[in-house]
Amino acid sequence: MLLGFHLIFFACKTPPVPPEAQQVENLREALWRAGASFYAEQSYERFKAELKSGKEKLARERAKFGWSRDYSSLQADFRDLLQKGNDLLAQVETLKGSQAKYFTDQTADLAGRVVRLKRMTDQFNENGPVRKSLSQAEIKLSETETLLRKEQYGAVGETLAVAENCIREAERSLASILSRYLDKRELDKWQKWAGETVAESRTNGTVAILVNKIERKLTIYKKGAVIARFDIGLGRYGLSDKLYSGDEATPEGKYQITRKYPASQFYKALLINYPNADDQRTYALAKKEGLIPAQAGIGGYIEIHGGGKDNLTAGCVGLENKDMDEVYKWANVGTAVTIVGAVSIENTILAEIKEFAKNG
Amino acid sequence: MRGVTKNLVLVLAIAVVLAGCKAPTQQIDTTKAALEEVTKASADIAPVPELKDLNDKLTAALDEIAAQDKKFFKKFGKAKEMLTNLGTDIEALKAALPAKIEAAKNEAIKLQGEAKAAIDEAKALLAKAPTGKGTKKDIDALKADLAGAETAFAEIQTALDGKDYIVAQDKANAIKTKAADIAAQVKAAIEKVTGKKIV
Repeated sequence: MLLGFHLIFFACKTPPVPPEAQQVENLREALWRAGASFYAEQSYERFKAELKSGKEKLARERAKFGWSRDYSSLQADFRDLLQKGNDLLAQVETLKGSQAKYFTDQTADLAGRVVRLKRMTDQFNENGPVRKSLSQAEIKLSETETLLRKEQYGAVGETLAVAENCIREAERSLASILSRYLDKRELDKWQKWAGETVAESRTNGTVAILVNKIERKLTIYKKGAVIARFDIGLGRYGLSDKLYSGDEATPEGKYQITRKYPASQFYKALLINYPNADDQRTYALAKKEGLIPAQAGIGGYIEIHGGGKDNLTAGCVGLENKDMDEVYKWANVGTAVTIVGAVSIENTILAEIKEFAKNG
Repeated sequence: MRGVTKNLVLVLAIAVVLAGCKAPTQQIDTTKAALEEVTKASADIAPVPELKDLNDKLTAALDEIAAQDKKFFKKFGKAKEMLTNLGTDIEALKAALPAKIEAAKNEAIKLQGEAKAAIDEAKALLAKAPTGKGTKKDIDALKADLAGAETAFAEIQTALDGKDYIVAQDKANAIKTKAADIAAQVKAAIEKVTGKKIV
């Protein structure tokens, strides 16, 4: 009789709800937190639909009398769903990781472009629209880093797009400022002057000075061979060709030293014969065409002087004092000084400008 | 006559049973609308964790209704109770939301003020920086940098006006950092020339 009671009791015992049901529910929570609805919307919706169907089956089974409940098929379904959910979670985490990496890489790439452009603005003394756009880009990139930490990738994409626009704007402005450096006729002219200067130094066995504005270099030649090279500084608009007094541009052309100042306002100085005949012709033409202010004279007193290269001259060529000592030593009244915009398109800066111009 | 009475009692009994088995459609609609409203209201302060809990509770209530719908004898009592509790929770979040939004707004305004102060400090330093040989180039560049920060500063107010308080906070923090960086560079440039430490 006791055996019979046991048999009846165990036969009628209600089977427990499979633990997988709660595990799948927890997994859904984990998927939601991981952002499955954003990263794998369709798969997540399928997962939720299957979970809903499973829960309905579970409800139906639980509605039966305890002894007639059978969760075995449902347990298999939940296990299958657990597997799918875990796969989906892994997929979401991978996608998130890829996106985080993509945005992190893109942020680093844009930050690199900003650094490179800022270096160029330093070199060209561009402290206007280019620099302002770069500053705005830096602020956007800073916002991006905050959003990346919060894993708000939707907003990251938008902020990066704004940062990139600011950078493109800076590149376009820079390319337009430096467009004449991409003009082949200008380059040919500068190459001709530089070539003639070196050839004359070689032929006559004399010292000659070549100033390359885009590279910010002053090179001393003797008998056609390079004997010294120094970094230089120019004015705010040093990359432009000087046209009139007060334009803060550095003249381009073939000049000579007309006077040496051993103790000038800027350490030591070498005065050159700006304006030469070419400068006077250009000035007269510009004046006639109304391209320069009516009262503006042609200017003068263009020097190679000390005082440091990290400052803005009014159109002169500035050097560190120790470098000026060297230049001063080699130069004499009558020494050729040729100032050119550039001599080669091959150098990095011009290649970059060309690239900006192409992108712009 | 006795038969008619019997049938009438039967019909009334069925009507009473069926009335109790009607899905709480109106209650669902009201709850959904309330949840949607509180979700929209909390958008100003970024996702609120409580919203997830409320959405889960709504899903559970709807699942319960769906499960009952498939049965012949439907019992919606539990679902109604779930919806009622959910309504209470929504109201509680709704009541707490203005304080949360106000806190986010106040934080954004505080950071906006700090960003402005950082810009003003950099501007003041730039104004008194010596712009002679050795610093002119650096100072000019930093002025242009600060102009960029000032332009970006306007975006904080736009975000505040749009009630994007968290966005406004992020922008203000970024601008504050940039302006502080500019101020530090101005100090360094001045120190380079004067040889005096600026504190």
